[in-house]
Amino acid sequence: MTVPRPYALLAEITYRCPLHCPYCSNPVAASLCEAPRRPQRGGYNNGELTTEEWKRVIREAAALGVLQIGLSGGEPLARRDLAELIRAAREAKLYTNLITSGIGLDDDRLCALRDAGLDSIQLSFQSDESSLADEIAGARAHERKLDIAPKIRAAGIPLSLNFVIHRRNIDRLSQMIDLAERLGAERVELANVQFYGWAFRNRAALLPTHEQVDRARDLANAAKARLAGKIDIFYVLPDYYETRPKPCLNGWGRRYLTVNPIGDVLPCPTASSAIPDLRLENVRIRDLHWIWQESASFNRFRGTEWMPEPCRSCPQREIDFGGCRCQAALLTGNAALTDPVCEFSPNRALVDAVLCDVNSANGRLGEWTYRVNPTTSSRSESGRALG
Amino acid sequence: MAATTISDLARPSLAKGVRLQSDSTMGKSVLLYPEGIVELNETAHEILSRCDGRTLGEIICELAEEYEADSNALAADVRNTLSDLQQRKLIEFK
Repeated sequence: MTVPRPYALLAEITYRCPLHCPYCSNPVAASLCEAPRRPQRGGYNNGELTTEEWKRVIREAAALGVLQIGLSGGEPLARRDLAELIRAAREAKLYTNLITSGIGLDDDRLCALRDAGLDSIQLSFQSDESSLADEIAGARAHERKLDIAPKIRAAGIPLSLNFVIHRRNIDRLSQMIDLAERLGAERVELANVQFYGWAFRNRAALLPTHEQVDRARDLANAAKARLAGKIDIFYVLPDYYETRPKPCLNGWGRRYLTVNPIGDVLPCPTASSAIPDLRLENVRIRDLHWIWQESASFNRFRGTEWMPEPCRSCPQREIDFGGCRCQAALLTGNAALTDPVCEFSPNRALVDAVLCDVNSANGRLGEWTYRVNPTTSSRSESGRALG
Repeated sequence: MAATTISDLARPSLAKGVRLQSDSTMGKSVLLYPEGIVELNETAHEILSRCDGRTLGEIICELAEEYEADSNALAADVRNTLSDLQQRKLIEFK
């Protein structure tokens, strides 16, 4: 099989974050290094990648064909070398997008990032007003976001707003769209929560009801029509309520790769926690080209050969790629099965049972657990031999 | 804006946040924008690489000369391409 070229790199440069959103897709593991499945060889350590290591990753990604980089986390602003990484990405001709809570951003830093070549900022919001937003974030953040949004615009950087939608804020969808309009965003993403990482743990508290979802879909469509040509609105459906799975990543190892804070390279950002038997390769040991082309992890679900029935003979197989491997793993314990969201999956009942619980709970809200930061060692312990 | 209503005096430019770049992997030009990539055909590349303050009329003239093409037919192509890109918010007119 000819290996396709990747288009985008998600660089999770740190998992440190001042926010504690209960829907975070970061791993729930207390330590990034507890999984005993990494290559236990020289060169590997469990500290965040250094500036020089990230710059090498960026160059290797560009050489592989990557055109876009998303700098994400955690909160990427927690790294003081962010501007330097942006400059390296720009030198490699990558389109650079910063995915941020905005906490840690001020005029000076904004100018430094812009001058380094930052192309676009995606600013997250938890809701449209501070009492609910701060409760969701587990931190006083909303007012600071409101303060920084106009500064991003004044700096001339295109602004997208991102709202993760869930049971507690979905009824405020139209107010969130109003906020995006007021802040002059070019683009707004209203993304129903997907259940990975912390969100999977907090699913009972986050999954909206059927009624909420129907109302939100109508509202989003109406806003899309009203604001056409002014703001691009992307409404991401809650896939548990769908009958066909999402074309996750547009296919495994096909367009995207993720590098996490300690240099593990993942076909999908949530794969490290969702698929425990996936052997992770690390940029401290192998170059990206080899990992993308040759590694077992990237080849495991490439193409259609791996597919079981009903995917294997399904006319949709090269459209939805069997759905999401992480979702299959989290719901069935087997990453190689059809995504249970699919109506043809023999495991669809698992999803229906969850929906049934949420919709029969008579408005009772579950409690959630706030996200805490998984640990990496605070600095690289160079030379420390593992194994 | 409908393709036929774009004035010869309009000055097309890339929209904010959109970058025109060559992609060495495919040997093609691409437009890069927040979370998206558009692969360009040769016509679109020739047009967009001239969207730097020149008027639509000037761009059409130059292309007609360079390709020794009939400028009426070419004008319609250029207008359609630009209109399509404008609807996708990848270019704007000044």
